[in-house]
Amino acid sequence: MAPPARRGGLVEDNTMNTSERLWSPASAWQHPATTGIVIGVFTALVLAPIVFTLLKRTGRVSVPTQRELVLRWKSWVVISAGLIVPILLGAVAVFITGLVLSLLCYREYARTTGLFRERAVHTVVILGLLLVHFAAADHYYRLFVAALPIVTTTIVAVAVARDDPRGFIQRVALATLGFILCGTWLGHFSYFANDANYRPILLWILLCVELNDVFAYCWGHALSSPKLCPRTSPGKTVAGASGALVTTTLLAAGIGHFVFDGQVVDHTVTLLGMGLGIAVLGQIGDLVLSSIKRDLGIKDMGLILPGHGGMLDRFDSLLLVLPVLFHVINYLQGIGTDQARNIITGAFGNP
Amino acid sequence: MKPWNYHTARDLQLPMQKRWASIRREDDLASHCVHAAAWHAFRLFLRLYEHLEVRGREHIPSRPPFVLVANHSSHLDALALGSSLPRGQLGAPFPVAASDTFFTGSTRCVMSALFLNALPFKRRACSAHSLETLRERLKAKEACLILFPEGTRSRDGAVHSFKCGIGALVAGTTVPVVPCAISGAFEAWPPDSAFPDRGHVCVNIGRALRFESVTNDREGWREVANQLEAHVRQLLVNTQSGDHAH
Repeated sequence: MAPPARRGGLVEDNTMNTSERLWSPASAWQHPATTGIVIGVFTALVLAPIVFTLLKRTGRVSVPTQRELVLRWKSWVVISAGLIVPILLGAVAVFITGLVLSLLCYREYARTTGLFRERAVHTVVILGLLLVHFAAADHYYRLFVAALPIVTTTIVAVAVARDDPRGFIQRVALATLGFILCGTWLGHFSYFANDANYRPILLWILLCVELNDVFAYCWGHALSSPKLCPRTSPGKTVAGASGALVTTTLLAAGIGHFVFDGQVVDHTVTLLGMGLGIAVLGQIGDLVLSSIKRDLGIKDMGLILPGHGGMLDRFDSLLLVLPVLFHVINYLQGIGTDQARNIITGAFGNP
Repeated sequence: MKPWNYHTARDLQLPMQKRWASIRREDDLASHCVHAAAWHAFRLFLRLYEHLEVRGREHIPSRPPFVLVANHSSHLDALALGSSLPRGQLGAPFPVAASDTFFTGSTRCVMSALFLNALPFKRRACSAHSLETLRERLKAKEACLILFPEGTRSRDGAVHSFKCGIGALVAGTTVPVVPCAISGAFEAWPPDSAFPDRGHVCVNIGRALRFESVTNDREGWREVANQLEAHVRQLLVNTQSGDHAH
């Protein structure tokens, strides 16, 4: 196949492909992995309340526990729909969802750390989140990568301009960390949507990351073992972490074979490596949020998701997985290389 | 390494519905933008419809915390006081509003919180708890308050005795209290009227007072209330005689 034509540095592609990727849900079910993952999630959600009822009737769970499980299940229905539907609708829906996710997560972070009271740097971080997702939507990789130095430079400049050294390091560090967590890292969720194969990739990542948490919980309850990080997360055990490591690695590699069928990363060692990455980084992401909460002396980052807590409580495992997996895949085979770049900025973004 | 000082939002553990009606509510950037826009609109309305006149604006402190207190005879009072602030502070202060009037029902609750930026105050039950929460927020330099120490709108337009609650808020603290006199609001929108008429509302702002040497007990609270009442009455007299704030 002839390489795409170039004009003034802008890669011309088949514009129908880009338009279809951005706006059209018509190709949503083309990839079998997409269909399989969505059907699997739907089936699990349908069966879950039946299982809870059976567990209650056989006396294996108490009534309060069953109520708690139902509460969590309801939130899972909303979360699943909130993520899967935009992924199926098109890349623009993914960009919007990614932006909303970043803003909601950052709002929780700002309110728990008190950063929201520092209006100037708080505003800079919010503008930075908009910049990151704009760069993703524009398929403007150079701006996407430059967003971190641009925003952090602006943060320190704004903090210095206040002429108040008391608490300078704290507010600059909090703002920088907030941007990294909710902008730079979560921004990769949106950038994945620039690849023609984004639907199965995103669904694969989301499924494996969330199941990683479930596996850690199940293995931790099935086997007794020492605590993993008792002062950070008292509920986690070595057995839970190890069991999840093995299970998630195998599951991710197995599903990944169907997701990347025939592509460069569809190689046993690579798939196992990515699976291991999801397992390890997912748990580290969880521990990062636990560390933040212990430092702040709070239980949850928010209350928006009944049974789960806040958005960051639910999506903490994604934080490190998204950027690392993105760059592994991008390094090995590229992401969105066959898609038009600088969709909005055009020649201005590609001199 | 010294530990950092985190100040988690006071309303963090409250669900959204309860947050709007909580005296612990803290604004984020989005709601602050809504307040600022709403108060710019209120000020425009008061200038055009009520010919709002402000005297002594230079007496308002430039940074939190501070408390604005005034005589109260109309729903226009809070709007007039809030609209008297310099442009950069519009929408920032919290009018303290009776919860049994402004925070009944979810729609009214959201409107009062989102557009007025009001905080609910329970006039009867739990008023001591409300006062303590407001006092903590003032001492933490988190808030500027708009308060009417008479406790309710005057039915005859005259200034009535100030209640001690204002003393419980500021006695023994360095929080500046700015006495203000509002005239013309009762005539424009009396308590028994459903809608405001055109009029001329004047806000006369006095010099800030501090009560750090006043004891934080009933006697001190009474002293604070009496002093502020005297200043507000004097400002009203000055307004009627055409003088500026003393």
